[in-house]
Amino acid sequence: MELSRGFRRILDSVALDVFRGEFLTIVGGSGTGKTSLLRLLGGLTPASAGDIRFRGRPVNGPPEGVVVVFQDYSRALLQWRTVAANVALGLEGRLGTAALKERVARALEMVGLQHCAGDQPWQLSGGMQQRVQIARALALQPDVLMMDEPFGALDAMTKATMQDELLRVHERTGTSFVFITHDIEEAVYLGDRVVVLGGSPGRIHTTVSIGLPRPRDQIATRQSPEFLQHRLDIHAAVRESAGGDAHF
Amino acid sequence: MRISRFNIPGLVTILVLLAGWEILVRSGAAKFDYLPAPSGILLASVSLIVSGELFSQALHTVESILIGWTAAAAIGIGLGLALGLSPLLRRWSLASFEVLRPLPAIAFLPLALLLFNFSLTTELVLMIYASVWPVFINTMGGVMGVTSRLYDVSRTLRLSRMQTLVKVIVPAAAPAIVTGCRLSMGLTLVMAIVAEMIANPHGLGYAVISELQAMQPQRMFAYVIFIGMLSIALNAGLLWVSRHILRSHRWAHADHA
Amino acid sequence: MRRGQAINLQLVAALQYARGLLPLLLGLAIWQTFGPEKSPYFPPPSAWFDSVVFLARNGKLWPALAATVATFAAGTALACAIGFPLGLLIGRSRPLRRALGPLLEFCRGLPPPVLVPVAVLLLGYAEGLKLLVVVWVSIWPILLNTSMAIGQLDELLIDVSRTFHFNAVTTLRKIVAPAVVPAFLLGVRIAIPLAIIITLLVEMLTSVPGIGSLIVTSQRQFRPAEVYGLLVLVGILGLAVNAIFTSLERAVLKRWPPTLQ
Repeated sequence: MELSRGFRRILDSVALDVFRGEFLTIVGGSGTGKTSLLRLLGGLTPASAGDIRFRGRPVNGPPEGVVVVFQDYSRALLQWRTVAANVALGLEGRLGTAALKERVARALEMVGLQHCAGDQPWQLSGGMQQRVQIARALALQPDVLMMDEPFGALDAMTKATMQDELLRVHERTGTSFVFITHDIEEAVYLGDRVVVLGGSPGRIHTTVSIGLPRPRDQIATRQSPEFLQHRLDIHAAVRESAGGDAHF
Repeated sequence: MRISRFNIPGLVTILVLLAGWEILVRSGAAKFDYLPAPSGILLASVSLIVSGELFSQALHTVESILIGWTAAAAIGIGLGLALGLSPLLRRWSLASFEVLRPLPAIAFLPLALLLFNFSLTTELVLMIYASVWPVFINTMGGVMGVTSRLYDVSRTLRLSRMQTLVKVIVPAAAPAIVTGCRLSMGLTLVMAIVAEMIANPHGLGYAVISELQAMQPQRMFAYVIFIGMLSIALNAGLLWVSRHILRSHRWAHADHA
Repeated sequence: MRRGQAINLQLVAALQYARGLLPLLLGLAIWQTFGPEKSPYFPPPSAWFDSVVFLARNGKLWPALAATVATFAAGTALACAIGFPLGLLIGRSRPLRRALGPLLEFCRGLPPPVLVPVAVLLLGYAEGLKLLVVVWVSIWPILLNTSMAIGQLDELLIDVSRTFHFNAVTTLRKIVAPAVVPAFLLGVRIAIPLAIIITLLVEMLTSVPGIGSLIVTSQRQFRPAEVYGLLVLVGILGLAVNAIFTSLERAVLKRWPPTLQ
């Protein structure tokens, strides 16, 4: 697929497959079109050329079974609704009250926020707010969760906690993940495959399969020689794709 | 904004001024023949309350204000939503509104008199015309200010257009809408008084003028002060209601703290 | 961007904005076509124009316009001249602000029209009446805005004045006053429409010479075209005043950072 906006081509001849149940991470420097790619896959932006299919059917607008989670959680949440009401947003009108309550409770439990159901988002920390957004997406029991640098605004410690939580959700639910980040280590730590997006207009430079065993560990995995090798390879790939000057 | 200690200096200032005023009039030092003393105003107020006159005049004014304000809010919110949601509508009509906006409502008073004579209609028309603007502009601004991120969210959660409007757009614009309604109340009161002074011989505005013409300074001042208190009460009441409605929106206020 | 390009873009933007005038122009055109010439309620726009021209010709229009504009301008100027220093004074002194607070709030909350009968009672139908009421009404936004801005003045600026050993007057002149100019101008911006409204109101209530009393006379003598015409004139006046103030404000605030404008 391709994406052009105005006179600028943002993405050029991108061909990508996402497999069921996999955790796909996409890395690239700033300006390579990562967010645009996610919006294309999530049905939020139409492609200028080429096509996008989900389960064999063309994507025209956000498809059923795909949900996008955004980086700016405080703007993506309805700050005037309680946490539980936020999580329920996508289900209202689609499920009966009892079923809805049950799903909301389960989604909150999956991200560890069951005790915050009655709080307002603005009373919570950044990491917790992002978890509310994730719970809101999970409540819909989607097939694919698209995440646009969801941990970019969080501090390192919260980030690590959230990464592990995400992996746990992935393991429990079998949902596919498409995860965008500029943090190469995060991409390797989380992913089954890492796609390197680079250049302007953005193109897929390489795709690397990550053979690290699951479950992953913040200390052990990150120090393993395979991890370090992957990291090196992807660094090189990113630098190459940026034409020698990588800034991210 | 709560004053932890009662504002003693403020109270003292007012009391001192009142005392000074009383002395000024009693001693005849002021050269205003018709300036009444606070004590006289107080007596007149009591008599107006007891005779029920104050109440009946106030009732007329308050009733018109409520009708006018509600109508202005309904029209203003409707217009604001329509133009806020539809760039097409905005493109082809906003300039017309902006040309009309600076026209002071009071300039319409003679026109309203011409069309509707001395009646409640004139009062209402004037009030509604003046008060629509803050609600309209604020609502439109509030709707247009809804961050595009929230539209992304309603699309990725696959909400219907009605759901998006009711659950996302209106609550997000609520602080602006409520502020607009609050601002319009002040205008409604002013126009009600003006209309009653010139175009509809009922209510508090008319009472002030008629006491003036009857050379009754104490009663006139009593009405004037009552109008001032009514204005403060209406504004304070509306502020309280708006805080209550927006209690879940405290985050918005926190940003502007 | 080349100059020619910039001007073209501005022209395009202006034309795009003008599209919004369609409903208004359309309405006027329909009114003009279908409005009966002698209607007691809805005379066509051409009649409005004719009647205003007629007023100008028989010498009634210009004196009235001059009276209104003079009162409004003098009133606003006086309100600035009194409100600004008073605002500075009150703002600088916390105890003063506390003591005068409730009183100022009450004065501000009093609906301006109510003051007209009070002024008439105390001063009679004198010439200065109009000016006094206009000044009283316009002063509050200016005074309150200025005093509030002083209250929120960045303490750092005061430290700067201390470092330079400025005395109170110099501090006021060189640091405090310039710092509150944006807020002061905002207060003036709020006060201007108020001043226009009150000027018209006084003229309507007391038949003191001015556009307000002219409109009321036209209404009493059942000359609808005149009423409409003068209404449009008032609108144009308001627009003109607004435009003048905006360009003045822009010129003054050129040196202030954009966030404060």
